[in-house]
Amino acid sequence: MSVQAAVQVPRRVVAANAGRNIRPTRAAPEIRKPLKRDAKGLPIPHVNIIVRDTHRCRLSDHYYHTVQDDLMYMTYVHEPYARKPRRELRPMYDPNDPYTKHRYNPPVGGDRWSKQPPQPSAPDDVVVLERIQLHMMMKEAIGHRTQLLGPIMAFRAISGESEGAGGRRTAEGVQIVKGKKSLSGWVRPGVPLGVKVDLKGPKMYDFLATLVEFVLPRLREFPGIVMPGPSVRLDTPSAASGVVSFGLPPLALSLFPQIEVNLDAYPKSFGLHIHFVTSAKGVGAQNRARALLSGFQVPFARA
Amino acid sequence: MTPSTPASFPRAVPALARDALSACRQHARACLHFPSRPLATLAETPASSSASTSTPQPAPADPHLPKPIINAAVILNRAPLLTRTPTMFERAYYAYHARIQRALFNPFPSDFYFKQGSLLEAKFVKEEKEREREAFGGPWVLKRKQKPESSSRADGDEEPMPRITEADRTGDVKSLDRMGERNLYLLLLGKDHTGKQTWRFPYGDLKEHELLHEAAERDLEAECGTMMDTWIVSRNPIGVYQPPLPADAAKKSLAQTHLFFYKAHILAGQVRPDGKNITDFAWLTKQEIQPRVDQNYWASIKDILSDF
Repeated sequence: MSVQAAVQVPRRVVAANAGRNIRPTRAAPEIRKPLKRDAKGLPIPHVNIIVRDTHRCRLSDHYYHTVQDDLMYMTYVHEPYARKPRRELRPMYDPNDPYTKHRYNPPVGGDRWSKQPPQPSAPDDVVVLERIQLHMMMKEAIGHRTQLLGPIMAFRAISGESEGAGGRRTAEGVQIVKGKKSLSGWVRPGVPLGVKVDLKGPKMYDFLATLVEFVLPRLREFPGIVMPGPSVRLDTPSAASGVVSFGLPPLALSLFPQIEVNLDAYPKSFGLHIHFVTSAKGVGAQNRARALLSGFQVPFARA
Repeated sequence: MTPSTPASFPRAVPALARDALSACRQHARACLHFPSRPLATLAETPASSSASTSTPQPAPADPHLPKPIINAAVILNRAPLLTRTPTMFERAYYAYHARIQRALFNPFPSDFYFKQGSLLEAKFVKEEKEREREAFGGPWVLKRKQKPESSSRADGDEEPMPRITEADRTGDVKSLDRMGERNLYLLLLGKDHTGKQTWRFPYGDLKEHELLHEAAERDLEAECGTMMDTWIVSRNPIGVYQPPLPADAAKKSLAQTHLFFYKAHILAGQVRPDGKNITDFAWLTKQEIQPRVDQNYWASIKDILSDF
């Protein structure tokens, strides 16, 4: 029986053809009616073309086949009784005032979102990685904004993102971060300071795989992302928002394979901040986010 | 890793099976009425605890009823090693979107990555042209097919490991290399709670003053040997099996057994059963487990095991 079973399932496995294109080798159909052109002279397609997944994502598979189940068991909190309802607090503004009628009217002292307990454990509410944000700031860019060209190219190479990529409105690509405040002698509003990029979907998992397999193992004297001690409060905004952040030194940039191939094309090396944004919310969310990331072999170290 | 799990074990009767959930609810009710009684999972040998807090009978605790027997079992999992092979539909979908992407992507800044006129650039351009042809087709594609097999070897590229291993070909169910795309689970051939020789997950009893997850770890080592590294995922059990009692159980005062399942991963090594109690073992997929195990046992584990 076992022999049959062993043979049965891999029948689907067509190993030799797995990565091959299966398109019939027919030429594209002839265009009879020419497409309309836009202002730049480029053809406008009849439909909105959006590029979806072009390959099976390895880490995404790993999440849905292994990590998700484990996380559900690890983060399960048994609550046999219904929760106590939240204490009703007086709203900040008079609710009978017509001015406040359809306006945001938080309870006195704010809505205290970071103090709220997490949602009850449920199989469809397991922590998931939503996006990764890369971010860097360069002080020299305040004087010479061309200094940001190197970081922009490096971020484009690392992330593979570009604005409106694949016909997606929401793909913002590499963005320039500008100053908001006016600090005398340093920064003024609207001055380009740094660069950031948001990664989502397969590109996010590709970046995570690169980071974990190529960069972190080759980083010298890297103990892991250092966690705060056990005495740290779990209801601060940073601990309850479900984001894990850490920084990479300038030396780490040259360890990314996309940068490594032509390192001398970049005039200057720089460090970057990485934020892993997860769906965990509520008290102690950062711990659940760490549990998720360690499922992708991101190393953590005790302080 | 495990966030905020208490050292003691008072809230540890989560269960995924439907009957287990109802048992849980009864358990909670019992706690509500008799808060001073120790929980069944905390400290029990068949001889110790005063009343059965987790018997499935809804009747209030009867002093003449036998004490329940608590056992811990481990569902030892070998996670998939390979990405799942896409189906024909998925491959067509991916190929279609790969072509759209190729048609629309921003121009590659080759002067940024390559020196003008370098060998590397020439090689890249040539390969890129071939990829373009493969994506958008043409009469030359069919002719080109035989070439890359020999040329890639000649370049010294490493050949990838085969997706079908020796263990798949020979049907060796003891090998951890088999079925790289699937979740495998360890099944042992040995005596179950009635003394019958059956296929089952590794399990064992609970000692006095021992926590359930510690018992699971100890029992796994006792049945499978010390020659493997494992990691028990959570301190909470993930399911429970209550074997049906025979009809004359009340007359003979037979105790109800509760078998709590824990999930674990194998990280290295292999099972080495001692040969006395455990005579055989197998690493099986969910579909292969079903015909081997008892129907009641299957009903309580089938939702825990992964379909892939």
